[in-house]
Amino acid sequence: MGRAIVITSGKGGVGKTTTTCNLGAAIAQLGMSVVLIDADIGLRNLDVVMGLENRIVYHVVDVVQGKCTAQKALIKDRRLENLWLLPASQTDDKDAVTPDDMRKLIAELKASYDYVLIDCPAGIEQGFKNAIAGADEAVVVATPEVSSIRDADRVVGLLAAKDIPTRLIVNRISAHLVKKGDMLSQSDVIEILALELLGAVPLDEHVVASTNKGMPAVLEGKSAAAREFARIGKRLVGLDVEAVHETGGGFFARIGRALGFSSANAA
Amino acid sequence: MWNMFRGKQSSREVAKGRLHLVLAHDRVGLEGGKLQEMRREIAAVISKYVPIDVDAVEVQIESKSRATELRVSSPLPARGSG
Repeated sequence: MGRAIVITSGKGGVGKTTTTCNLGAAIAQLGMSVVLIDADIGLRNLDVVMGLENRIVYHVVDVVQGKCTAQKALIKDRRLENLWLLPASQTDDKDAVTPDDMRKLIAELKASYDYVLIDCPAGIEQGFKNAIAGADEAVVVATPEVSSIRDADRVVGLLAAKDIPTRLIVNRISAHLVKKGDMLSQSDVIEILALELLGAVPLDEHVVASTNKGMPAVLEGKSAAAREFARIGKRLVGLDVEAVHETGGGFFARIGRALGFSSANAA
Repeated sequence: MWNMFRGKQSSREVAKGRLHLVLAHDRVGLEGGKLQEMRREIAAVISKYVPIDVDAVEVQIESKSRATELRVSSPLPARGSG
Protein backbone atom coordinates (compact mmCIF):
# COMPACT_ATOMS: atom_id res chain seq x y z
CA MET A 1 0.00 0.00 0.00
CA GLY A 2 1.47 3.33 -1.05
CA ARG A 3 1.40 6.71 0.60
CA ALA A 4 -0.17 9.91 -0.76
CA ILE A 5 1.46 13.25 -0.01
CA VAL A 6 0.02 16.60 -1.09
CA ILE A 7 2.41 19.47 -1.81
CA THR A 8 0.61 22.71 -1.01
CA SER A 9 1.26 26.35 -0.04
CA GLY A 10 -1.76 28.63 -0.25
CA LYS A 11 0.15 31.28 -2.16
CA GLY A 12 1.10 30.75 -5.79
CA GLY A 13 4.60 31.02 -7.16
CA VAL A 14 6.49 29.72 -4.14
CA GLY A 15 7.74 26.54 -5.85
CA LYS A 16 5.10 23.86 -5.29
CA THR A 17 5.42 22.42 -8.77
CA THR A 18 9.22 22.52 -8.77
CA THR A 19 9.20 20.87 -5.35
CA THR A 20 6.78 18.14 -6.49
CA CYS A 21 8.88 17.48 -9.59
CA ASN A 22 12.15 17.22 -7.67
CA LEU A 23 10.83 15.22 -4.72
CA GLY A 24 9.22 12.80 -7.17
CA ALA A 25 12.50 12.37 -9.03
CA ALA A 26 14.45 12.10 -5.77
CA ILE A 27 12.19 9.34 -4.40
CA ALA A 28 12.23 7.49 -7.74
CA GLN A 29 16.05 7.61 -7.65
CA LEU A 30 15.86 5.75 -4.34
CA GLY A 31 14.22 2.90 -6.22
CA MET A 32 10.62 3.43 -5.14
CA SER A 33 7.75 3.86 -7.57
CA VAL A 34 6.20 7.33 -7.70
CA VAL A 35 3.17 8.83 -9.43
CA LEU A 36 2.91 12.62 -9.61
CA ILE A 37 -0.58 14.04 -9.99
CA ASP A 38 -1.08 17.57 -11.29
CA ALA A 39 -4.22 18.63 -9.38
CA ASP A 40 -4.29 22.12 -10.90
CA ILE A 41 -7.22 21.46 -13.26
CA GLY A 42 -7.38 24.05 -16.03
CA LEU A 43 -3.87 25.42 -15.39
CA ARG A 44 -1.58 22.46 -15.87
CA ASN A 45 2.12 23.02 -15.32
CA LEU A 46 3.75 19.96 -13.81
CA ASP A 47 4.04 18.41 -17.30
CA VAL A 48 6.07 21.32 -18.64
CA VAL A 49 8.27 21.57 -15.53
CA MET A 50 8.94 17.81 -15.88
CA GLY A 51 9.62 18.14 -19.61
CA LEU A 52 6.82 15.70 -20.47
CA GLU A 53 4.45 18.15 -22.17
CA ASN A 54 4.74 16.54 -25.60
CA ARG A 55 3.65 13.14 -24.47
CA ILE A 56 0.22 13.84 -22.99
CA VAL A 57 -2.67 11.84 -24.41
CA TYR A 58 -5.10 11.53 -21.50
CA HIS A 59 -5.39 13.50 -18.29
CA VAL A 60 -6.88 13.31 -14.80
CA VAL A 61 -10.36 14.50 -15.89
CA ASP A 62 -10.49 11.74 -18.54
CA VAL A 63 -9.73 9.25 -15.77
CA VAL A 64 -12.39 10.46 -13.32
CA GLN A 65 -14.95 10.65 -16.14
CA GLY A 66 -14.18 7.04 -17.02
CA LYS A 67 -12.87 7.82 -20.53
CA CYS A 68 -9.73 5.82 -19.81
CA THR A 69 -8.08 3.91 -16.97
CA ALA A 70 -5.58 5.60 -14.65
CA GLN A 71 -2.86 3.26 -15.96
CA LYS A 72 -3.51 4.39 -19.52
CA ALA A 73 -3.33 8.10 -18.64
CA LEU A 74 0.00 7.81 -16.81
CA ILE A 75 3.04 9.10 -18.67
CA LYS A 76 6.23 7.24 -17.88
CA ASP A 77 9.30 9.38 -17.35
CA ARG A 78 11.97 7.86 -19.61
CA ARG A 79 14.85 9.23 -17.54
CA LEU A 80 13.88 7.26 -14.45
CA GLU A 81 12.71 3.71 -14.08
CA ASN A 82 10.00 4.37 -11.47
CA LEU A 83 8.45 7.76 -12.18
CA TRP A 84 5.04 8.53 -13.75
CA LEU A 85 2.96 11.66 -14.28
CA LEU A 86 -0.80 12.02 -14.34
CA PRO A 87 -1.30 15.43 -15.99
CA ALA A 88 -4.11 17.92 -15.34
CA SER A 89 -6.41 18.91 -18.17
CA GLN A 90 -5.89 22.35 -19.65
CA THR A 91 -9.47 23.12 -20.69
CA ASP A 92 -11.80 21.78 -18.01
CA ASP A 93 -13.31 23.68 -15.14
CA LYS A 94 -11.92 22.88 -11.69
CA ASP A 95 -15.38 21.59 -10.77
CA ALA A 96 -14.89 18.74 -13.24
CA VAL A 97 -13.33 16.79 -10.34
CA THR A 98 -14.74 16.26 -6.85
CA PRO A 99 -12.97 15.32 -3.60
CA ASP A 100 -14.61 11.88 -3.84
CA ASP A 101 -13.19 11.38 -7.35
CA MET A 102 -9.72 12.19 -6.01
CA ARG A 103 -10.08 9.84 -3.02
CA LYS A 104 -11.04 6.98 -5.34
CA LEU A 105 -8.27 7.70 -7.85
CA ILE A 106 -5.57 8.00 -5.19
CA ALA A 107 -6.69 4.83 -3.41
CA GLU A 108 -6.41 3.01 -6.76
CA LEU A 109 -2.91 4.39 -7.44
CA LYS A 110 -1.72 3.63 -3.90
CA ALA A 111 -2.51 -0.02 -4.50
CA SER A 112 0.14 -0.21 -7.25
CA TYR A 113 2.69 2.53 -6.46
CA ASP A 114 4.80 3.34 -3.40
CA TYR A 115 4.23 7.10 -3.44
CA VAL A 116 1.60 9.40 -4.92
CA LEU A 117 2.63 13.07 -4.82
CA ILE A 118 -0.16 15.56 -5.46
CA ASP A 119 0.74 19.01 -6.79
CA CYS A 120 -1.91 21.28 -5.27
CA PRO A 121 -3.16 24.43 -7.03
CA ALA A 122 -2.73 27.82 -5.33
CA GLY A 123 -5.62 29.10 -3.25
CA ILE A 124 -7.89 27.44 -0.72
CA GLU A 125 -10.99 26.84 -2.83
CA GLN A 126 -12.31 23.79 -4.70
CA GLY A 127 -8.98 22.86 -6.30
CA PHE A 128 -7.32 22.82 -2.89
CA LYS A 129 -10.11 20.72 -1.39
CA ASN A 130 -9.76 18.22 -4.25
CA ALA A 131 -6.00 18.05 -3.90
CA ILE A 132 -5.98 17.33 -0.16
CA ALA A 133 -8.96 14.92 -0.24
CA GLY A 134 -6.99 11.70 -0.70
CA ALA A 135 -3.77 12.73 1.02
CA ASP A 136 -2.28 10.83 3.96
CA GLU A 137 0.01 13.71 4.76
CA ALA A 138 0.89 17.19 3.56
CA VAL A 139 4.02 19.15 2.80
CA VAL A 140 3.61 22.92 3.00
CA VAL A 141 6.06 24.91 0.88
CA ALA A 142 6.74 28.47 2.04
CA THR A 143 9.29 31.04 0.98
CA PRO A 144 10.71 33.26 3.75
CA GLU A 145 8.38 36.16 2.91
CA VAL A 146 5.48 37.61 4.89
CA SER A 147 2.85 36.93 2.19
CA SER A 148 3.87 33.32 1.68
CA ILE A 149 4.03 32.60 5.42
CA ARG A 150 0.66 34.20 6.06
CA ASP A 151 -1.00 32.06 3.37
CA ALA A 152 0.88 28.96 4.52
CA ASP A 153 -0.54 29.50 7.99
CA ARG A 154 -4.11 29.50 6.63
CA VAL A 155 -3.43 26.25 4.82
CA VAL A 156 -1.85 24.70 7.93
CA GLY A 157 -5.06 25.50 9.83
CA LEU A 158 -7.23 23.91 7.12
CA LEU A 159 -5.05 20.78 7.02
CA ALA A 160 -5.15 20.50 10.83
CA ALA A 161 -8.96 20.70 10.70
CA LYS A 162 -8.88 17.65 8.38
CA ASP A 163 -6.38 15.84 10.65
CA ILE A 164 -3.77 15.68 7.90
CA PRO A 165 -0.24 15.55 9.39
CA THR A 166 1.80 18.40 7.94
CA ARG A 167 5.48 19.19 7.58
CA LEU A 168 7.30 22.22 6.18
CA ILE A 169 9.73 22.99 3.38
CA VAL A 170 11.24 26.47 3.37
CA ASN A 171 12.06 27.27 -0.24
CA ARG A 172 14.40 29.81 -1.84
CA ILE A 173 16.25 30.79 1.28
CA SER A 174 19.35 32.93 0.87
CA ALA A 175 22.02 32.47 3.53
CA HIS A 176 23.49 35.80 2.48
CA LEU A 177 20.24 37.74 3.05
CA VAL A 178 19.52 35.93 6.33
CA LYS A 179 22.99 36.91 7.55
CA LYS A 180 22.44 40.53 6.54
CA GLY A 181 19.24 40.54 8.59
CA ASP A 182 17.11 41.02 5.48
CA MET A 183 15.43 37.63 5.29
CA LEU A 184 13.60 35.43 7.76
CA SER A 185 15.72 32.42 8.69
CA GLN A 186 14.44 28.86 8.56
CA SER A 187 14.17 28.85 12.37
CA ASP A 188 12.10 32.06 12.21
CA VAL A 189 9.69 30.36 9.80
CA ILE A 190 9.52 27.21 11.93
CA GLU A 191 8.84 29.29 15.03
CA ILE A 192 6.08 31.28 13.34
CA LEU A 193 4.33 28.34 11.65
CA ALA A 194 5.04 25.82 14.45
CA LEU A 195 5.66 22.97 12.01
CA GLU A 196 8.27 20.25 11.75
CA LEU A 197 10.87 21.15 9.12
CA LEU A 198 11.61 18.68 6.32
CA GLY A 199 14.23 20.87 4.74
CA ALA A 200 15.28 24.33 3.62
CA VAL A 201 16.05 24.68 -0.09
CA PRO A 202 18.52 27.42 -0.94
CA LEU A 203 17.80 30.05 -3.59
CA ASP A 204 19.70 28.52 -6.52
CA GLU A 205 19.99 29.67 -10.13
CA HIS A 206 20.49 26.07 -11.24
CA VAL A 207 16.80 25.46 -10.56
CA VAL A 208 15.85 28.19 -13.05
CA ALA A 209 18.01 26.59 -15.74
CA SER A 210 16.69 23.08 -14.98
CA THR A 211 13.10 24.28 -15.26
CA ASN A 212 13.90 25.98 -18.57
CA LYS A 213 15.04 22.63 -19.91
CA GLY A 214 12.25 20.57 -18.36
CA MET A 215 14.71 18.57 -16.32
CA PRO A 216 14.32 17.90 -12.59
CA ALA A 217 17.28 19.62 -10.86
CA VAL A 218 18.02 16.45 -8.86
CA LEU A 219 18.78 14.62 -12.14
CA GLU A 220 21.21 17.31 -13.25
CA GLY A 221 23.79 16.90 -10.57
CA LYS A 222 25.03 18.53 -7.51
CA SER A 223 23.64 22.04 -7.23
CA ALA A 224 22.86 23.13 -3.65
CA ALA A 225 19.10 23.02 -4.25
CA ALA A 226 19.34 19.58 -5.91
CA ARG A 227 21.26 18.18 -2.93
CA GLU A 228 18.64 19.52 -0.53
CA PHE A 229 15.74 18.15 -2.59
CA ALA A 230 17.45 14.75 -2.62
CA ARG A 231 17.87 14.92 1.14
CA ILE A 232 14.22 15.90 1.66
CA GLY A 233 13.17 12.99 -0.56
CA LYS A 234 15.04 10.65 1.78
CA ARG A 235 13.42 12.16 4.85
CA LEU A 236 9.99 11.90 3.23
CA VAL A 237 10.35 8.17 2.72
CA GLY A 238 11.50 7.78 6.30
CA LEU A 239 15.23 7.30 5.76
CA ASP A 240 17.29 8.58 8.62
CA VAL A 241 19.22 11.54 7.30
CA GLU A 242 21.23 14.15 9.12
CA ALA A 243 19.29 16.95 10.80
CA VAL A 244 18.88 20.22 8.94
CA HIS A 245 21.58 22.83 9.44
CA GLU A 246 20.72 26.43 10.02
CA THR A 247 21.26 28.53 6.91
CA GLY A 248 23.80 31.27 7.41
CA GLY A 249 25.90 29.25 9.79
CA GLY A 250 28.60 28.03 7.43
CA PHE A 251 31.85 26.35 8.28
CA PHE A 252 33.71 29.56 9.13
CA ALA A 253 30.81 30.91 11.16
CA ARG A 254 30.81 27.74 13.23
CA ILE A 255 34.59 27.92 13.73
CA GLY A 256 34.16 31.58 14.70
CA ARG A 257 31.53 30.69 17.28
CA ALA A 258 33.66 27.89 18.64
CA LEU A 259 36.50 30.38 19.11
CA GLY A 260 34.20 32.81 20.86
CA PHE A 261 33.61 35.38 18.10
CA SER A 262 29.92 36.06 18.03
CA SER A 263 28.24 37.77 15.13
CA ALA A 264 25.50 40.32 15.76
CA ASN A 265 23.50 38.69 12.97
CA ALA A 266 23.97 35.10 14.08
CA ALA A 267 20.74 33.15 13.94
CA MET B 1 5.06 50.15 20.60
CA TRP B 2 8.18 48.71 18.96
CA ASN B 3 7.73 51.37 16.30
CA MET B 4 10.17 53.52 18.18
CA PHE B 5 12.81 50.79 17.91
CA ARG B 6 12.13 50.16 14.27
CA GLY B 7 15.11 52.17 13.16
CA LYS B 8 17.43 49.73 14.88
CA GLN B 9 15.61 46.56 13.89
CA SER B 10 16.61 44.48 10.91
CA SER B 11 13.91 43.94 8.30
CA ARG B 12 13.99 40.29 9.33
CA GLU B 13 12.95 41.19 12.89
CA VAL B 14 10.30 43.60 11.62
CA ALA B 15 8.86 40.85 9.40
CA LYS B 16 8.79 38.45 12.33
CA GLY B 17 6.98 40.90 14.59
CA ARG B 18 4.44 41.77 11.90
CA LEU B 19 3.77 38.12 11.13
CA HIS B 20 3.21 37.23 14.78
CA LEU B 21 0.54 39.93 15.01
CA VAL B 22 -1.13 39.22 11.66
CA LEU B 23 -1.26 35.46 12.21
CA ALA B 24 -2.67 35.82 15.71
CA HIS B 25 -5.62 37.72 14.22
CA ASP B 26 -5.92 35.44 11.17
CA ARG B 27 -6.04 32.34 13.36
CA VAL B 28 -8.95 33.65 15.41
CA GLY B 29 -10.75 35.00 12.35
CA LEU B 30 -11.67 38.26 14.10
CA GLU B 31 -11.56 41.27 11.81
CA GLY B 32 -10.55 44.65 13.24
CA GLY B 33 -14.13 45.95 13.54
CA LYS B 34 -15.34 42.91 15.48
CA LEU B 35 -12.36 43.15 17.81
CA GLN B 36 -13.20 46.79 18.65
CA GLU B 37 -16.83 45.85 19.23
CA MET B 38 -15.73 43.11 21.62
CA ARG B 39 -13.39 45.56 23.38
CA ARG B 40 -16.25 47.99 23.97
CA GLU B 41 -18.52 45.26 25.34
CA ILE B 42 -15.85 43.89 27.67
CA ALA B 43 -15.14 47.43 28.91
CA ALA B 44 -18.88 47.94 29.54
CA VAL B 45 -19.06 44.71 31.59
CA ILE B 46 -16.03 45.64 33.71
CA SER B 47 -17.44 49.12 34.34
CA LYS B 48 -20.61 47.54 35.76
CA TYR B 49 -18.50 46.26 38.66
CA VAL B 50 -15.59 48.69 38.94
CA PRO B 51 -15.48 52.34 37.93
CA ILE B 52 -12.94 52.40 35.10
CA ASP B 53 -11.95 54.54 32.17
CA VAL B 54 -13.57 52.46 29.40
CA ASP B 55 -11.26 53.96 26.75
CA ALA B 56 -8.21 52.62 28.60
CA VAL B 57 -9.31 48.98 28.21
CA GLU B 58 -7.11 47.17 25.70
CA VAL B 59 -7.60 43.81 24.04
CA GLN B 60 -4.75 41.98 22.36
CA ILE B 61 -4.57 38.70 20.53
CA GLU B 62 -1.26 36.89 20.82
CA SER B 63 -0.05 33.68 19.28
CA LYS B 64 2.69 31.47 20.54
CA SER B 65 3.33 28.20 18.77
CA ARG B 66 -0.17 27.27 17.54
CA ALA B 67 -1.95 28.41 20.69
CA THR B 68 -3.62 31.79 20.60
CA GLU B 69 -4.69 33.82 23.60
CA LEU B 70 -6.80 36.90 24.21
CA ARG B 71 -5.40 39.43 26.65
CA VAL B 72 -7.58 42.10 28.16
CA SER B 73 -5.93 44.79 30.20
CA SER B 74 -7.57 47.60 32.10
CA PRO B 75 -6.19 49.98 34.69
CA LEU B 76 -8.26 49.62 37.88
CA PRO B 77 -8.71 52.54 40.27
CA ALA B 78 -7.55 52.15 43.88
CA ARG B 79 -10.40 51.68 46.32
CA GLY B 80 -11.89 55.01 47.33
CA SER B 81 -10.09 56.98 44.65
CA GLY B 82 -12.88 56.62 42.09
